[in-house]
Amino acid sequence: MEFNWSQEDGEFRRELAEFLDATLPSDWDEISKGGPGSEAQASFSREFAHKLAERGWLTQNWPAAYGGADATPWRHIILSEEMWSRGEPRGPQYMNVNWIGPSIMEYGSEEQKREHLSRISRGDVLWCQGFSEPEAGSDLAALRTLALRDGDVYVVNGTKIWTSYANHADFCFLLVRTDPNSKGRRGVSVLLTEMDLPGIEVREISSVVGERYFHEVFLADVRVPVSCRLGPENEGWSIVSYALQYERVGAPRYARAALTVDQIAAHARERGLLSDPMVLQKLGEARVLCEAARLLTYRVVDQRTRKLPPSADSNLARVAGTIADRAVAELALEVFGEDAMIYGSFADSNFRMAMTAGVAVGATEIQLNLIASRFLGLPRE
Amino acid sequence: MDFELNDDQRAILEAVGALLERHAGAERAIALAPKSEYDHALEEALHEAGFLELALGEGTGPLEAVLVVEAVARAGGVVAFGAGALVAPGVAGRSLSGPVAMASAGNGSPIRYGAHARSLLLLDADEASWITLEPGDAEPVRSSFGYPMGRVRSASGDSFGRGSGERMRNWWRVALAAEAVGTMDAALSVTIDYVKQRRQFGRTIGSFQAVQHRLAECAVLLEGSRWLVREAACLGAPSQAAAAAAAHATAAANRVFTETHQVSGAIGYTREHDLHVWSMRLQALRLEFGSIAGHQRALAEARWGEQSR
Ligand SMILES: Cc1cc2nc3c(=O)[nH]c(=O)nc-3n(C[C@H](O)[C@H](O)[C@H](O)COP(=O)(O)OP(=O)(O)OC[C@H]3O[C@@H](n4cnc5c(N)ncnc54)[C@H](O)[C@@H]3O)c2cc1C
Repeated sequence: MEFNWSQEDGEFRRELAEFLDATLPSDWDEISKGGPGSEAQASFSREFAHKLAERGWLTQNWPAAYGGADATPWRHIILSEEMWSRGEPRGPQYMNVNWIGPSIMEYGSEEQKREHLSRISRGDVLWCQGFSEPEAGSDLAALRTLALRDGDVYVVNGTKIWTSYANHADFCFLLVRTDPNSKGRRGVSVLLTEMDLPGIEVREISSVVGERYFHEVFLADVRVPVSCRLGPENEGWSIVSYALQYERVGAPRYARAALTVDQIAAHARERGLLSDPMVLQKLGEARVLCEAARLLTYRVVDQRTRKLPPSADSNLARVAGTIADRAVAELALEVFGEDAMIYGSFADSNFRMAMTAGVAVGATEIQLNLIASRFLGLPRE
Repeated sequence: MDFELNDDQRAILEAVGALLERHAGAERAIALAPKSEYDHALEEALHEAGFLELALGEGTGPLEAVLVVEAVARAGGVVAFGAGALVAPGVAGRSLSGPVAMASAGNGSPIRYGAHARSLLLLDADEASWITLEPGDAEPVRSSFGYPMGRVRSASGDSFGRGSGERMRNWWRVALAAEAVGTMDAALSVTIDYVKQRRQFGRTIGSFQAVQHRLAECAVLLEGSRWLVREAACLGAPSQAAAAAAAHATAAANRVFTETHQVSGAIGYTREHDLHVWSMRLQALRLEFGSIAGHQRALAEARWGEQSR
């Protein structure tokens, strides 16, 4: 057991931080205000990810055979922390690296690997995740979008919802039902679908979280080549499980939250609030929650480093991260007070980012269900 | 970074596990409770087997000591092991055997093991001191909270010098948090066993989602505390990490107390059921040395306060 970073890892973090200081433009705070899915940030990401790729960092955690550098999961979490705490200059491309690429590596044909992995590792492509549907939220296996075989294409009909980044995406990691007579986890497949195929329509869903945050994706007689199917037909559920396990602890939101607490403290000092014992206490509490989420995430990273099978530790990390996000957002409101009523202000942006933490990437209750059954060994309801 | 026990650590935990199997456990704790007795036999056994020396041992350190503090607490040991095996080495550079109590100067509050202690580590602002207690220096205080408590009447001793106060504060917080982790772990596992076998409405209560979610949230808090404590010990108890560990573990302790009792129903309040051995102690740990809010403020001050600038 060891909680110090190795010297090399420490140097990597420093080098990365210097690179970010030098590379992020002076108006980066303005660009990143809208979150990874905003117009400004998504287009910035194309340029930025190129630069990361040139340094060999974008997909450093991938095997060398697929354009990576076989970097350890520890290196990858350092990279992710630095990116998230700066507001994620990779935009939506963090998903490519975290779980879309790895799923293609695990389940893809040689041709799919050639096509997609090289584009991702060059920083050339944006993806979106087409899982949720109006009737399939937490109960993802209730999905209905149908893909029927017609020669060497699938004809796809259905609706996807909440799809982040769909407005920018070149491709969709699309979950469909390929066996019309199936139910639940059987009979589903993943299609690596180009977003500009005829029949795909993306509509923004207006929300209070931010601009262009959510989308609906309508699929009407979309003809997707069978060669775009990832893995065997009707056996896509194992890909979903594989992908979700990487997605759950992919984005270290605690790193962002911890930096936010530092900024709240700086503001509190300016306003002379740091001598207020209540403010100190709440700052301490918020920081502790970020630290706990960090270590629970590290626990998962450690298991990945050892190539252990996925465990309920990722659910623990997710719940801890949500608790931290909420505490930090709440504190920002209290310390900034009525200033938070201004759209785009620090406390407001932070609050809107945090308000979805308990629902995005699997609702808290679902995480708790999984902890109860897999970690505590309690019987299913 | 490495979150797995190494071979030595595994061997230490196996050895202490076997020892605790013989010398500690709920039954032993319940037997000692009516007269607020100290477990001299357990302490002797831990001392003889060398567990007191881990923090300053060859090839071992505070992290190994913390693992054993967790284990002793999980087994319900009525010994001042955290103070003797972790705080004393951190402050004085040597372990202390014989019951050791810890107190903050001038507040006169009851302290754990106060009436049994032969030595006292006293924290007074920037300095910590070591005081040998004579019979009559302390009086027992009756408490609901699972440990023999006492109050030290008067004391003065040898200071470890300037700066020792900070060391004591930090190691005290780590020790306290490690004890809370072991104690929560036991409270939670007694409760999990119980909800798996208790049936109502034709099914085990552990299959109700309302019950599951309470316990699952406890698990999140407990595991977070566990890693915070281990990290703090490994890094040598820097003030921020020590305060973070204590703040998280005491807040978690409070929550685990509430939820384990809630899902255990009336039996949980009785001395027939083992839960109380651990649950009541959680409240003592939560109150000791400044309570949850005190640790949270300590962290904030260490990170953002005037001195840290
Ligand atoms: C910011 C954000 C971005 C997203 N991005 C994407 C994306 O890019 N692609 C995509 O496919 N999806 C995306 N989603 C959708 C997300 O995966 C779903 O919102 C999530 O899985 C929950 O589904 P739901 O919203 O339908 O809620 P529901 O499933 O209807 O849940 C509502 C409430 O009921 C509770 N509940 C449901 N089932 C149970 C149960 N068995 N036990 C106890 N409680 C239960 C939930 O915990 C929740 O509290 C995104 C969501 C958000 C908020």
